[in-house]
Amino acid sequence: MAENSGTDPAVETNTEENAAASATIIKVTVKTPKDKEEIAIAEDASVAQFKEEISKRFKAKQDQLVLIFAGKILKDGDTLGQHGIKDGLTVHLVIKTAQKTSGAGSSQTSASSGPGPSQGSPSGTDTPSPAGNLGTPQGSGPSPTPSQPANILAGFGDLSGLSNLGMGSANFMELQQQMQRQLMSNPEMLSQIMENPLVQSMMSNPDLMRQMIMANPQMQQLMERNPEISHMLNNPELMRQTMELARNPAMMQEMMRNQDRALSNLESIPGGYNALRRMYTDIQEPMFSAAREQFGNNPFSALGGNGENPGTQPSRTENREPLPNPWGPPDGTASTTSSGTPTTTSSTTSSTTPSVSNPLGISSSNLGNGMFNSPGMQSLMQQISENPQLMQNMISAPYMRTMMQSLAQNPDVASQVLMNNPLFAGNPQLQEQMRQQLPVFLQQMQNPEALSVMTNPRAMRALMQIQEGLQTLQTEAPGLMPGLGPGGMPGGIPVGMPGAPLPTGVTVTPENPPPSGQGSTPTPTAGASPAQQQLMQQMLQMFAGGSASTQTPEVRFQQQLEQLSAMGFINREANLQALIATGGDINAAIERLLGSQPS
Amino acid sequence: MANGSSYTVQLYVYDLSKGLARQLSPMMLGKTVEGIWHTGIVAYGEEFFFGGGGVTSCYPGCTILGMPDSTVDLGNTEVPRDLFQEYLSSLGESTYRPEKYHLFEHNCNTFSAEVAQFLTGKKIPSYITDLPSEVLSTPFGQALRPLLDSITVTPSGNNGMNGYGQR
Repeated sequence: MAENSGTDPAVETNTEENAAASATIIKVTVKTPKDKEEIAIAEDASVAQFKEEISKRFKAKQDQLVLIFAGKILKDGDTLGQHGIKDGLTVHLVIKTAQKTSGAGSSQTSASSGPGPSQGSPSGTDTPSPAGNLGTPQGSGPSPTPSQPANILAGFGDLSGLSNLGMGSANFMELQQQMQRQLMSNPEMLSQIMENPLVQSMMSNPDLMRQMIMANPQMQQLMERNPEISHMLNNPELMRQTMELARNPAMMQEMMRNQDRALSNLESIPGGYNALRRMYTDIQEPMFSAAREQFGNNPFSALGGNGENPGTQPSRTENREPLPNPWGPPDGTASTTSSGTPTTTSSTTSSTTPSVSNPLGISSSNLGNGMFNSPGMQSLMQQISENPQLMQNMISAPYMRTMMQSLAQNPDVASQVLMNNPLFAGNPQLQEQMRQQLPVFLQQMQNPEALSVMTNPRAMRALMQIQEGLQTLQTEAPGLMPGLGPGGMPGGIPVGMPGAPLPTGVTVTPENPPPSGQGSTPTPTAGASPAQQQLMQQMLQMFAGGSASTQTPEVRFQQQLEQLSAMGFINREANLQALIATGGDINAAIERLLGSQPS
Repeated sequence: MANGSSYTVQLYVYDLSKGLARQLSPMMLGKTVEGIWHTGIVAYGEEFFFGGGGVTSCYPGCTILGMPDSTVDLGNTEVPRDLFQEYLSSLGESTYRPEKYHLFEHNCNTFSAEVAQFLTGKKIPSYITDLPSEVLSTPFGQALRPLLDSITVTPSGNNGMNGYGQR
């Protein structure tokens, strides 16, 4: 009726008195990000009064409420009318926490405890959040501080989301793995998680941290083997620092660099080197393998372009694993034979032709074909030859030496590491070969001579030329290397030392007047003439076992030389050359000598 | 209300079909649909949008969609940035979680409309929000619906705010 129109002064007082019953009560929708409620309030109420109503309904403190309407923030002193808030309109509400940066924590609390989503509470206790494998835990621990169960979950809304995704099983391990997988696929997530104040508060609680880390089975194994690790875990300061690190990649790198510098200093202390090595084999290796299993990280993933980053990040030791050994297989077998029986080389080779030629057959095809054909390898070689400093750095880095030593001593590790190389991945044959030859060329890596040659750019270039020559030969004269076709091992053998035998080959070549034409073209073939095979084997042996067999051919072929001179071949030089060319085969040498005599 | 701070709010509108919708829609749908609209809200120097990856933000025009086909000025807001951040985080953890994305019913435009409302009280142009119903009202749209239900649009952006913590 008209009495409520409020135009007459008399009626106005009435309306004032009957404010509660008058039509100036308006219903305003208050909308939070999660929820909305309709609140009845007097039209002329002040914002403060409005907030009072809201705080009752949303169960939040008044000073946590921030009201927004039409892009403006409603201050306590204003009235609703000032902002034009009328019946049926929507006002936005944000519930703040006391802290400036994090609204999520308590706004979740208020939101979830109020009209809140019930998803919060049940799953909060059911799904303990997984602990990161690298010791960076996130999410709620198994028994979070009692006042925060809803918080924790809400703070990680994703967890309830996760359970919605069907991960409702309370299987800790599963959750953990999935979480990690997600983490790995989104590295930013980790930093975000780190920044969450809940995480931070949790991380400053050392007990919780320790609990979570220890829950990881791999960590447990690690700890069993190395009690020092558990000591480390018990130091809260250290833990926190580590967490900081994990969060901040720049800091992490810095730290790693410092650490490596410290380590290299350590090495120069007597006995320090051993300590380093031990440290590596005891701690890092299982950790890395654990990490690898988890994440499928491939230590060799960067191997193709490995040359670029040698000394600057020594922390990533696996990435600086020995460079690929282009001469690996032949070198391996050849050197075993040569180192085994230096004096009876010829007899060995001739007698064991079938068995030796086979591996050699395959490997020489590798030699010519596969190994160098991988683009990774080629680029690597190029990089090496272009930048000797690279190699120098790589080799001189303390970690490298440590790695190599430990690899040399522990062929299992080496083979495991190598096998993980994707370049091998599809190729079991290659793996087999590698595995066999590992110990050998690992030792060669230790050979400082080998190392020094690797740093010699000219040497590397020469090697590349040889490789190119081989390749050309293959294409030009495939008949010469019939074994190459099917046997050509794809991708070569990009792991292993960068031509440890190569350098020795280079040093050897000056020694031995090169078996010129034939010598430079190793001819593999299973069925080729024995002379050819021996020639090839001889050459390979020379390439490989240069430093091992320091005897000159003269000494080696002593016996043959005597025989030849007894037969009437006086020219010792020519004899020697022929013998070298034929690999100690007297008959073939004689033929050569006879063939060249009429000159 | 001299709060001292006032931020402009814009709506960036992208046509996902790059003009194809205008050409092909008469044929396929029987009526002309001017474009397949994707929107993002630009405020505080950043662009915010909702996609398969949840609530995401990056610098304006950073997504692979490039610069918008058109922009709509939504006015100003007094809401300070950190408050907006909190608001977004809450949104990102509740109604705008990544898995809540639905191409028709709860998509980027839904998000933009809601954020625009929050920041300025204004609505975004109706041709954008009406698009799903326009399409679905055609037989073709109905037929495609099961397929479309499974698609999400996630322009590559940077920071996610979907509950993994504050930015």
